Amino acid sequence: MRPLLWRILTAAVAASLVLAACAPAATPTPEAQPSGAATAAVEPSTGAGPVTAPSGYICPEPNPTLPVTATEVNIFVWTEYIPQDALDCFEAVYGIKVNREEYSSNEEMYAKLNAGGTNYDLVQPTDYIVPLMIRQGLLQKLDKNQLPVLSTFDPAYLNLAFDPGNEYTIPYQGGTDAIVVNTDVVKDEITSWEDLWKPDYAGRMVFLDDSRVVIGLTLLTLGYDVNTTDEGQLEEAKAKLAQLVANVKLFDSDSPKTALIAGDVDLGMTWTGEAVLAQRENPAIQYVYPKEGAIFWQDNYAMPVGAPNPDAAYAWLNYSMQPDVFWMMLRDFPYNMPSRGALEYAQANYTDLYDGYMASNITNVPAEAFANAKRIQDVGEALTIYDRIWTEVKSGQ
Amino acid sequence: MKTDALRRWLRIWGTREAYQGLLLVAPTLLWMTALLIIPLLLTVVISFGGRDANGDVVYGFSLANYLRLLDPLYVGILWRSVVLAFQTTVLVILVAFPIAYFVARAPAGRRNAYLFLILVPLWTNFVIRIYAWIMILRTQGVLNGVLGWAAGLIGLPFQPLDLYPSPGAVLVGMLYEFLPFMILPIFTSLEKIDESLFEAAADLGANAVRTFLRVTLPLALPGMVAGTILVFVPVMGSFIVSDILGGRNVVLVGNLIQRQFLDARDPAFGSAASIILMAMTLVVTIIYTRRFGFGEEIVRA
Repeated sequence: MRPLLWRILTAAVAASLVLAACAPAATPTPEAQPSGAATAAVEPSTGAGPVTAPSGYICPEPNPTLPVTATEVNIFVWTEYIPQDALDCFEAVYGIKVNREEYSSNEEMYAKLNAGGTNYDLVQPTDYIVPLMIRQGLLQKLDKNQLPVLSTFDPAYLNLAFDPGNEYTIPYQGGTDAIVVNTDVVKDEITSWEDLWKPDYAGRMVFLDDSRVVIGLTLLTLGYDVNTTDEGQLEEAKAKLAQLVANVKLFDSDSPKTALIAGDVDLGMTWTGEAVLAQRENPAIQYVYPKEGAIFWQDNYAMPVGAPNPDAAYAWLNYSMQPDVFWMMLRDFPYNMPSRGALEYAQANYTDLYDGYMASNITNVPAEAFANAKRIQDVGEALTIYDRIWTEVKSGQ
Repeated sequence: MKTDALRRWLRIWGTREAYQGLLLVAPTLLWMTALLIIPLLLTVVISFGGRDANGDVVYGFSLANYLRLLDPLYVGILWRSVVLAFQTTVLVILVAFPIAYFVARAPAGRRNAYLFLILVPLWTNFVIRIYAWIMILRTQGVLNGVLGWAAGLIGLPFQPLDLYPSPGAVLVGMLYEFLPFMILPIFTSLEKIDESLFEAAADLGANAVRTFLRVTLPLALPGMVAGTILVFVPVMGSFIVSDILGGRNVVLVGNLIQRQFLDARDPAFGSAASIILMAMTLVVTIIYTRRFGFGEEIVRA
């Protein structure tokens, strides 16, 4: 019996090797898998009655409808950043399957793209990493003729220094990193980054685990540029940062609001979307734009070189950001809305939502804070110094 | 024609044992070459390189990355990782031993049920289990809630304990995470101890303590050795528990390596640190196994 079993086993292994060798050619496996919880059945609109998303939302018609031959589009985007209704409606209206993959840091996205072998049609880089991606030849220029949606955007979000003339990117959402305070327990008025160094706040603060931003705000308190590459200035910042880090209870870039809402910490720094959600849980949580200047950022859509479905990508950009679809961001993921059209649409159709957006200093950034905006830029070789400072202060040196 | 040839080919290959062995080991060999050996060689090559302004690897031969690791800053980080791995291992042995002993001494019918219960937590995702500890340990969490309630009952004033984030919370998380990997090998060792050995010890006048020190403990050693390898090695490179429960206030060698590949964009330095971590783990394991044997229980567990 044993030799027979042996022979069958051997034959089976041989067969599996042959199969394995053939498999890639026979069935190309899609790189991207949809990660959305509810994926709509992909059925092109037939004209019989309105198209609706599974939530019941009646999908707006594309304006304009672009000619598309691709049947899918691969997008690589931030987590919790695209309304489910917008995804469902796009799939239903265009009959195009959206393969969404998500990331939680620019560095993660960049490392993946730079390693090659990806087939994304769109990515969502933050401003500071865009010039690096352009220099590395990872992005292709956008065809403005296929982006009529650009006319609905607020010029304040266009033509910024990281991509003059918006040749490679179009804005998705803006945001800020600023101070967040639970005014139930912190009675002093806080107006500056400098205030966070007060001994009173030791062991009560949450900060983002972001070396560039935290070193950057320290540089601001010293009166230096947020993107300095001067070693003397950075050394000075390191000494000052060490005092701050000793007082920080928690570094969290995933969900700093949780510790704030739960009362583990009383103040610190966070970003727009987290602050809005924290404030919805506890209205005593206030957002403060420090007088040295808050860190402003902007997430953008960009098209990697070699994108396999550019026509579907342009259709997605236009549809997901046309005003009667894009307004959903105010409802689902509140950030700074770069689309004037979406705000006007919300004003006319969802007055409460619009009023809430305008009344909040988190989403509706005060003009003086905007004028004092500080933006992170790539620092090239000096990045190694920033990394070392971060490692040193966290190691207590 | 074609099927004849295939049949003949199968007959030749199916009868010669040497070829059979080669063929059977081929999938594993391919797997290991493609996903372990080649990446490892690449890591070694990259570790001798440098970084350009954009963060790409500049290939070359320089020991700069390894020399940089001799900096007290990085030596300190490596040392901290070793200490944490050591503390975790000792703590896990201390907690795992009584549990393994209890299970091994339980009536045969119940043992499987106990082992099953030990494995049940592993069905939940590792990160979720660690996050659950935040709920327990936080200022207004479960533990402080229960303590506050108990203090209220007996009329004591209660100030919520500051448990999370803290180094203690990290140790609790590590203990929880790695406990099953120590219980199982120790259990396997203890279960094999012949009942008559205890009788013999009693006959010769040994009391409980002496029996434990002279009989139980030496015979459980292979299990502890196997468990130590299963716990110490993964803890050396881990940083997720420390990040989640320690509030990212501590830099371990795992954090250091991760930062080089992401935020710092210095893959060459990250590769050098990875190689050093691997070498250190290897050295510790070799010294340890030379001293205590490889722990045959590792296979059974």
